[in-house]
Amino acid sequence: MTTLTEDEPAVAPPPPGRQPAGAVADPVAVAVHLRPAHRRGMDEHFAPTDPARSLDVARHPMVARLLRNRRFQFLLILPNQIVFWAVILLGLLGTVVPGLNFGTAITWYLWFCLVFVMMVVVGRAWCAMCPFGGFGEWIQRRALWQRTQKALGLGRKLPEPIAQYGFLISVGSFLLLTWIEETFNIAGPGAPHSTSWMVVGIVASALVFFLAFERRTFCRYVCPLSALIGTVGAMGSVAGFRTRDRDVCVACETKECMRGSTSGYACPWYTWPGSADSNLTCGLCTECYKSCPSDNIGLYLQKPMTSVVAPSRRRFDVAWAVSVLWGLVVFQQVNATNVYASADTWLNTHLHLRYPDPLDYAGIIAAIALLMGGIVWVAQRALARKDAPVPTGGTSYLDRTSRFRMFFVPLMYGLIPVVGADFFARQLPKFFKHVPRLVPAIGAWWGAGSTRSSLYGYHLLANPRIVTVQVAVIALGTLAAVSTSWKIAGRDLAGISSRPLAVKLTAAGLALACGVAASVLYVIMHAAS
Amino acid sequence: MTLTPTRPTREHDLASPLVTVLTDRCAGCQECIVRCPTGALAMDSARWVAVADQALCVGCRQCVRTCPFSAIAVAGPLLVTERIALHTTSPAVVEGDLGETRQGIVGWEDALAEASRCLDCPDPTCVRGCPTHNDIPSFVRALSARDLDEAHRVLRRTSVLPDVCSRVCDQAVQCEGSCSWSLAGGRPVAIGALERFITEQAPVPPPSLPAGGGPGTGLDVAVVGAGPAGIAAAWQLAEAGAHVTVFEKAGTPGGLLGWGIPDFTLPSAVAERPWEQLRAAGVELVCETPVSPEDVERLLGEHDAVLLAHGAGIPVTPPIPGVDLDGVEDASSFLERAHAALTTGSRLADLDAAGAARSISGKNGPGAGGSGAVVLVLGAGNTAMDVARSARRLGARAVCIDWMDARFAPVRPDELEEARTEGVEVRFASTVVGLDGEDGRVTLARIARTRQEQADRRPEILAGTTEAVEVDRVVLAMGYRLDTSMSTGRQDVPFKKTVEEYPDRRTVASGILASSSPEFARHQPVGRLSLARESARVAAAFPRGTRVWVAGDALVGPSTVVEAMAQGKRAAAAILEHQPRRPGGVRRSPGHVVVVADSLGGHTRSVADTIAEVVGTTGATVEVCRLQDATRAVLARADLLVVGTWTEGLVVARVGPSSATKEWLAALPPLAGTRAVVFCTYGVSPKDTLAVMRRALEDRGAEVVASGAFGPGKLAQRAEDFARGLRSKLWPGPGASRGASEPTMRAVER
Repeated sequence: MTTLTEDEPAVAPPPPGRQPAGAVADPVAVAVHLRPAHRRGMDEHFAPTDPARSLDVARHPMVARLLRNRRFQFLLILPNQIVFWAVILLGLLGTVVPGLNFGTAITWYLWFCLVFVMMVVVGRAWCAMCPFGGFGEWIQRRALWQRTQKALGLGRKLPEPIAQYGFLISVGSFLLLTWIEETFNIAGPGAPHSTSWMVVGIVASALVFFLAFERRTFCRYVCPLSALIGTVGAMGSVAGFRTRDRDVCVACETKECMRGSTSGYACPWYTWPGSADSNLTCGLCTECYKSCPSDNIGLYLQKPMTSVVAPSRRRFDVAWAVSVLWGLVVFQQVNATNVYASADTWLNTHLHLRYPDPLDYAGIIAAIALLMGGIVWVAQRALARKDAPVPTGGTSYLDRTSRFRMFFVPLMYGLIPVVGADFFARQLPKFFKHVPRLVPAIGAWWGAGSTRSSLYGYHLLANPRIVTVQVAVIALGTLAAVSTSWKIAGRDLAGISSRPLAVKLTAAGLALACGVAASVLYVIMHAAS
Repeated sequence: MTLTPTRPTREHDLASPLVTVLTDRCAGCQECIVRCPTGALAMDSARWVAVADQALCVGCRQCVRTCPFSAIAVAGPLLVTERIALHTTSPAVVEGDLGETRQGIVGWEDALAEASRCLDCPDPTCVRGCPTHNDIPSFVRALSARDLDEAHRVLRRTSVLPDVCSRVCDQAVQCEGSCSWSLAGGRPVAIGALERFITEQAPVPPPSLPAGGGPGTGLDVAVVGAGPAGIAAAWQLAEAGAHVTVFEKAGTPGGLLGWGIPDFTLPSAVAERPWEQLRAAGVELVCETPVSPEDVERLLGEHDAVLLAHGAGIPVTPPIPGVDLDGVEDASSFLERAHAALTTGSRLADLDAAGAARSISGKNGPGAGGSGAVVLVLGAGNTAMDVARSARRLGARAVCIDWMDARFAPVRPDELEEARTEGVEVRFASTVVGLDGEDGRVTLARIARTRQEQADRRPEILAGTTEAVEVDRVVLAMGYRLDTSMSTGRQDVPFKKTVEEYPDRRTVASGILASSSPEFARHQPVGRLSLARESARVAAAFPRGTRVWVAGDALVGPSTVVEAMAQGKRAAAAILEHQPRRPGGVRRSPGHVVVVADSLGGHTRSVADTIAEVVGTTGATVEVCRLQDATRAVLARADLLVVGTWTEGLVVARVGPSSATKEWLAALPPLAGTRAVVFCTYGVSPKDTLAVMRRALEDRGAEVVASGAFGPGKLAQRAEDFARGLRSKLWPGPGASRGASEPTMRAVER
């Protein structure tokens, strides 16, 4: 706030980089007397999640130039845009052999696996280059990369009664999409046109949301992959765009990173670099970096698992997302077993349905998610210190508090690595077995590839080696989950438990049990196949 | 503290406001907290989100307007007391009445009650809505404390006409339309009435002259025009110690205040007050002295600066037959003579004998008039209402016609009601298609109906609807335009008020733009209106020729008293900042240096920083900013403008300033007489980068005093040499060599 008047000299120096002393005052600034911002407890709150200054890659001039360039994200999106329009077209017009169709081959043998690699290593890397959201955003902004000021569409905000469920909306759409995928055997891969229609469906629904709502409401709330990438991405080593000096952000009266400026758009993801304490909602789009008038935003790296372990502002929706996603991936393992096949057949015969029976699909996922809840409920009944106060909360879904939540949320965060590892391991067979088919699939595009190609039948790895790799991946994930659960329980639960060691052992044990269950299921799956 | 329920019950069920914070999107940025008028919002440190204390919320929705992520909602009523009822008195007998119709607040009790409705907002949107940015919460606070001296001190920072503005401003689309209550859908604080109450309880203080010399001592400024812009500029310059001479073409000063606004809105005593005080303060007033464009050159030889504030006095004339008949005249002529006639107790019949000069035809023969005579007023805006109501007071029947539909006509509802109460007939969707006369004098007006479907559509005349109306006099009150002969050769005059595509970020943050059309403001977009006015106020700071500034209607065309005053004040401040000197005078070293740099990899920025550091040793204020931060408001401060860019291009092809720099240069405001320096950094060759920049600056009137191109190698040393050379050139004298071993101009081309 400037303290100059037109008739009086400066009585206090203005903030650096804003208005120089001695200038003719803006009479409005004279009348503005904002309340002091709240800073108490700020440093302590963010200390565990703030990355070290040395991990700011934007300090490197070349990186800074790249991030500052408005074409940066466009150039990330463009190749994917080309690939996925090719997927749509070739899926509809190309060969009907799934393994030889470029659309199915690149989507299911390579892309889906790469998405998991990116989320485990980086975080929301895919979101930065996603052609589905990217396409909607180009239309919404009426520009490919330029900063335009007038958006196309209605610019609505997602209504609060819906938005309060946060990532659970995305979890729901992922469950729906997976059910559709299982029903039509899209990712098998089945008929190439199914993959095309799935991509068309995602692009179209994204476009509808981009035109009806502001910013990336679709990506933040609705995208089927958003919750998955957000939770599993917490393992990633990119913290995202964060403040360099929080005091500057708190003192900033204009918040261009949130409202936009001439150089950059307002954060499409509803994230403020000044308070981001995980990479959960940073879409790595670089807009805040471009907008900041104080050059106070950096792109930070972090140690793996930091966004799992460190945040103190944990979300109940994310906890349920972890448990439901765990249920989903376990379902996807269970459904490859003989026991499931028998049960599903019996159920379908009696209900006159076909695979996947929505009842056992939803039932198994719900049962597993509720089992996690049940285990936590028992654990908190046994281990919670009865005199530990339950903090006052609000009444919205995210704000309510209870003793169950106090245990459930941290314990589920601790499981993120094993859930992520399981999803990743689930994609490996298709990659190892069939990714070489991409070469004849590209050839088929030009009429050159065929199923007789030696690469078509070539496997990078075959069973049982794949199972070994899967189990190894699960083992790594389990180790990480045991470690994160141990740390989280030590920090968040030990203080509110009657037996601190027992609660830490319970957390680690839960992670271990999940890992063992997943590994055993892979072995059973292999046996079944 | 009570935490917030998320799902508000139905709004009409609520007896008090209910705040909902959507924690999913609340980022804890505190934009709502720092701006909440009542302190109802605080931080939950554990979760780092905002929480609301429902008991403190009054429902003003300031938080809703300012939250960048739409993460807060307020339902329920506004907890505010009833706005005071302000009375308008209609004279029992209109004819001959000279009394003021709009009444102010009568007693302290009412004033204090109304003042208590002010929320004293931390980021007061009313201040942004006020064209001159009066610190409204502060003067209301002073009034609440019964400290009228302090209230006047606060007002004096931004206004010299509080008694006038409080009577003539259309507060509904300015301060009151931008009041937090108004933006929230309620009735605003009666800001205008409170301002008037202050001036009625304690007289507006005269200019306070600097005892031991002020920043304007030694400056000699000529002001052309003694209207609101001229008054404000003369006042500000006189208070700074400058010698001011004001030239006025009329016999009495005041411009529009004197002849344009009738006594029933602005009593003569109030209108004459500013000039009585200015003359007593030593401002030299030269009346009956029209200044022609040629005279301006002469004035520039005799004065250090000239401020043109001559207004926009050319009446708009409809393209219809008969406008040159006797009895057809423009509004200013009519109002001027009506004012004179009324103060002497005359009637309409005596008007022509009053000897005014300006009828359209130039022939003011004795005409019909007197009781029952019909005065047809073309237009239904402010001026038209003033004309019609004056005509009523002169004993005539008055009919206003406006071709716009009543729904879209830009008429103040309060004025329309007052006029109709006084017997003025106002017809919308009607237009005059021709005037007929006998013996050269107008007797008949042919009036046709019009149709207008939408506000932004031009009304169309309906065929076959023409009727003839007998008239005795026709007054053209369809607006005015600028005398273009005075603006010939002046950069960007008339200035078109604009709202930037990306509006001022502080205005955006205040939330005034979030609620675009309050009901109280007749659904006008008050935020955008305020931004447009502000663009003109900022524009008044730029010289429109060497040592020539323009303000008020002379700059933007017909506008309002308060805008003219604000611009006059801003132009005077610019003159005081830049301290221009007539030929032969001692030109001072730049006191404020603005260094603008567009840097790609940091080299340009490092040269800019070096220049800033070296120039800063002279005691000048130096401001280094990026292109996007170098707004007009920043450039207005520059005595010396240093512009640097990186060199864009493919080694030898298409080499020049960066695209962003070129765009920025193309949008430069007038910089007549401002000294400038250009520099660039390059990899292989700058080619004609500097020439392009120099040309762009010189096109805007700047005087480029040095330029330098910095290639690879020894950048820091060469930049320092350049800066030292610049320093010794522009800050001559012993102090200039501080810190410099041997000033050099090696890198400086000129």
